[in-house]
Amino acid sequence: MSLTQFIEDFEEAVEDVEAGTLNGATNYRQLEPWDSLAVLTVIAMLDADYGVRLKADDLKSCETLEALYALVQTKVSS
Amino acid sequence: MSGSILVIGATGSIGGAIASHLPTDGFEVTLSGRSAEKLNILSIDGAEQKIVADLSTEEGRQALVASSPELDGVVFAAGVAPLAPVRYLKEVDLEACFQLNACMPLLLVRDLLKAKKINKGASIVFLSSVSASKGAVGYAAYSGSKAALEASARCLAVELAPKGIRVNCIAPGMVESDMSDGFAENASADALEAHAKAYPLGVGRPQDVVGAVSFLLSDASRWITGVTLPVDGGFTI
Ligand SMILES: NC(=O)c1ccc[n+]([C@@H]2O[C@H](COP(=O)([O-])OP(=O)(O)OC[C@H]3O[C@@H](n4cnc5c(N)ncnc54)[C@H](OP(=O)(O)O)[C@@H]3O)[C@@H](O)[C@H]2O)c1
Repeated sequence: MSLTQFIEDFEEAVEDVEAGTLNGATNYRQLEPWDSLAVLTVIAMLDADYGVRLKADDLKSCETLEALYALVQTKVSS
Repeated sequence: MSGSILVIGATGSIGGAIASHLPTDGFEVTLSGRSAEKLNILSIDGAEQKIVADLSTEEGRQALVASSPELDGVVFAAGVAPLAPVRYLKEVDLEACFQLNACMPLLLVRDLLKAKKINKGASIVFLSSVSASKGAVGYAAYSGSKAALEASARCLAVELAPKGIRVNCIAPGMVESDMSDGFAENASADALEAHAKAYPLGVGRPQDVVGAVSFLLSDASRWITGVTLPVDGGFTI
């Protein structure tokens, strides 16, 4: 798992974000397409692709994609 | 009212409320759940027996049928609700959902009938959901399983009518429960608030479902079979 791959997977899940426009410092919660469907979809993507179950509150607890990636990593290894 | 009722999913929020209430209406209840721990701590006056059965396994199903007494009613309130937009729907979740929500009620009725454990004139009540008839993002697996359950219930109703056995579904809307907590964990606060607003009478509690179940089990509903009764605070109006 790498941050680059994670960002690609995130872009793929959220759709409506142009591929390659996000980076680790992006505040994903401020993105225009970040809505309730995006929350549900990212949670389902993390479960299907990473085997990690996050809650909507977890997604609220981070700001940047880098921070979210770090959170996912802690769950993958635990 | 009287009769011996098997409540499957008695360890769940809605099944637990149903199981607690039925003895006050004069029914004897046998409780079943997957978790031995949760089943053991259930203390319900009038509960005759407790049967631990994991219905994802054939042994679990067989154990439940073998240990069941002769029944005047069955309430199937076990269920799972995997929530995922279709692009990320896991095959294993889809299969488990249909297996427990749609296939298991049929297999159990089959096996209970073969074992002569369902008395003439009995009433079978399946817990469906408003999702069976309303589209919602992320619910394709769950909604499909409940629609299948309702369709099967109508066939069983016709098939078992000669024995006086009635088969009906209850379709609750969102009820505060472990299952809806799972939904809440996946949904943003805005989405939850918007969903709650779609209930003219507000979101339900597990106790709000028990009266309808008790009615369908009782002789007061002796001329009702093959229906799905919405119990949803007006959500589907
Ligand atoms: N809550 C709602 O808003 C809502 C709305 C509409 C319809 N419903 C339907 O109402 C029914 C009850 O829902 P609920 O809210 O009470 O859900 P819940 O609190 O999550 O309870 C689910 C029940 O299913 C049992 N179960 C799960 N997997 C099982 C398995 N493999 N074998 C045997 N039992 C298993 C659980 O047993 P253990 O706890 O022992 O593991 C528990 O008793 C379900 O059919 C659900 O689809 C619920």
